[in-house]
Amino acid sequence: MLRLRIGFVLIAIVLSFFGARLVQLQGMDPRSYAAMAAAEGAARLPLEAERGDILDRNGAPLADSIRGKMVIADPVLTAGTAPDLARLLSDRLSIDYFKTLTALRGRNTGSRYEYVARRVPSTLAGDTLEALEEAGFEGISLEEDPIRDYPAGDVAANLIGYMGTDEPLGGFERTFDKQLAGTDGLATWQSTSGKGVRIPLRESTLKEPRDGAPLRTTIDRDLQWFTQKVLAQAVQQYRAESASAVVLDSRTGETLALADVPTFDANEPTAPGVEKEDRGSRAMSDTYEPGSVQKVLTVASLIDAGEAFPRQKFKVPPNLARQDRVIGDWFDHGMIRLTLAGIIAKSSNIGTVLAADAFSPPQLVAYLQRFGLGQKTNVGVSGETPGILTPGDVMTSQTKDRVAFGQSLSVNVLQMAAAVNTIANKGVRVSPSLISGTAVTDDGVTVGTDTTTRTRVVSKEAARGTAKMMEKVVDPEDGVAPRAAVPGYLVAGKTGTAQRVDPACGCYRGTTVSFGGFAPADDARFTVYVVVHAPKVDGGGGSIAGPVFSRIMGYVLGRYGVEPTNGKPSRLPVEW
Amino acid sequence: MSSPVLQPRTRVTRLAQEAVDKARLTVVPRVRTRAPRVPFVTLVSLVLVGGIVGLLLFNTSMQQASFAASSLQSEADTLAAREQTLRMELDELRNPQRVAQEAQQMGMVIPTAPVFLDLRTGKTSGVRTPSTPEQAIQLLPPVPPKPAILAPPPTVVEVPADTTTDPTTDTTTEPPADAQAKQKNKNRQDRKNRNR
Repeated sequence: MLRLRIGFVLIAIVLSFFGARLVQLQGMDPRSYAAMAAAEGAARLPLEAERGDILDRNGAPLADSIRGKMVIADPVLTAGTAPDLARLLSDRLSIDYFKTLTALRGRNTGSRYEYVARRVPSTLAGDTLEALEEAGFEGISLEEDPIRDYPAGDVAANLIGYMGTDEPLGGFERTFDKQLAGTDGLATWQSTSGKGVRIPLRESTLKEPRDGAPLRTTIDRDLQWFTQKVLAQAVQQYRAESASAVVLDSRTGETLALADVPTFDANEPTAPGVEKEDRGSRAMSDTYEPGSVQKVLTVASLIDAGEAFPRQKFKVPPNLARQDRVIGDWFDHGMIRLTLAGIIAKSSNIGTVLAADAFSPPQLVAYLQRFGLGQKTNVGVSGETPGILTPGDVMTSQTKDRVAFGQSLSVNVLQMAAAVNTIANKGVRVSPSLISGTAVTDDGVTVGTDTTTRTRVVSKEAARGTAKMMEKVVDPEDGVAPRAAVPGYLVAGKTGTAQRVDPACGCYRGTTVSFGGFAPADDARFTVYVVVHAPKVDGGGGSIAGPVFSRIMGYVLGRYGVEPTNGKPSRLPVEW
Repeated sequence: MSSPVLQPRTRVTRLAQEAVDKARLTVVPRVRTRAPRVPFVTLVSLVLVGGIVGLLLFNTSMQQASFAASSLQSEADTLAAREQTLRMELDELRNPQRVAQEAQQMGMVIPTAPVFLDLRTGKTSGVRTPSTPEQAIQLLPPVPPKPAILAPPPTVVEVPADTTTDPTTDTTTEPPADAQAKQKNKNRQDRKNRNR
């Protein structure tokens, strides 16, 4: 009997504990316990949207995304085995041993989340984690961390831009971020254990990620590479400060190459020796005075207006006194008798000024505006400069004289290339483009080949006449730039040598030499424009930029299979 | 009156008696129709057990499928990552810089101007310009100059010319010409093999 009573009492005691616990669980704060229970098995996986690729015109990737992982350490678990673990990790992942060691020991006391490595290729990270588990280490985990890869390194890096740790930091990557980034998704489910295996028939949600859309440019990767290499070689050879070159498809205005030197490897934008300015596109953001290349625009406008013709005769004095200063030519001469073609071929400032006397400032400026000077090209490069073109109604006649031969106005490289291309494209200006199809910049501007506009600037005859005069520039006897010729082809071009404004002193110092032209001259397919800033070796547009032009033009003609037209070379007289 | 009545009456009585005898209702002994319980119970038990076991199996198989799904998913992820890594490697191999370096090592030069061969007529168009090694473009950036401390000026020691040596005994270390050519050929062969 006694035993039975003792038994009951014991059972009652135990049951009363159960009862108390029940009251605690259900009565005190049931919700938080329910939430804890749910959290116990809840798995939550952010689904990263894949960033859209940036492609060249043929679909070759200039930038692509691959899956990557970040390696995370929990110092509470890793601190004890830090040296061994660090050795293994630094060997496998090619990372710095000491930084790894610091991370494994925790940068702050009590920290439980430290980055060991970021943007590790998935396969490598997975293999490494397996090896760690086999070796019995714990406390290392992986999280999604997509890698942005630029397979061609520095090719078009100035245009494409680059990615920072978490956000785009320049170029198309930033300008078209909305399109490229996509939207991340999220999956949640109840899982059995830490391994994340889904419990069937339990609540789960899935929001699919939306991958970023690819951005197709008009750049031709191989041509862009070639252009950069030739340009870099010239910069080195002539010890220039920087240089840019553009290759345009004359008929469509598509930019096949837009090269800047110095450039950088987009995979390592912060490598030593890379200046901040090197990471942007100088061709689009820097202004400079175009110099004599501008003369072809002046002359084409004069012919279009009926104020001049290629065989028109001029007496060109040794120098020309105008109100504020004396205008001279780059070469010493007495009174020479040049035709308009001769003025272009010999690049005479005085001759151009004399010819442009037929224009009032507003007339000239109106033409130049239609050539696209003074306005942004809006091709999708942020930070583009519109250049400087004084409005016609406030332009003095002295300024007009200088503008006629390419001073007292400034342009960006693509703007000027598009203006020269107008002559190539039989007087119709095609707006240049860098994006195939259409794309909307993050500022809401729609750009691309689908938004190309065509405007007639000068008549077909004026353009043809100007092209014929430009052929004389590369003439071995009459011209100033025989080294710009491409063997077998009729090439039309124009040299430019201008004084360069040094931003450091705000004065003229050094020169900017350039060469713009197109081929085949009688049925232009490509326009190439080369600008070299501040070469330390004496030379002009013909001797420095000319050979670069010739190399690039020769390559692009061969690459696109453009046969020589076998047209008759220009027979315009340069003297009379 | 009574006899005709009586007679049939007695007949009726007899008949009735017979009928009554015939149709006497007796209490039928209550038959307990015991439907056999065992099949029913078995059936119900089977259904129950089957249901439970089925549910269990179903659940297990779902769980199994879930494990399989998650392992297949991780396999798919691994393969996708592998594919991407390979694609990245391929893209790096297709890098124009690398291709150009390989080509230039083989002695190829990008021509200055193209020449076209028309396969129908067998005629060429364009001006044939020789491609010389000087036209090869510089593929790598120039090596930055070493700091002065790492590149000390060469120490020049002037040794008085030894007049006793006979100039005809050649001291050059270069191998004879045909040995050089052989070496060159071998190099070319090696390269060929490597690039196959």
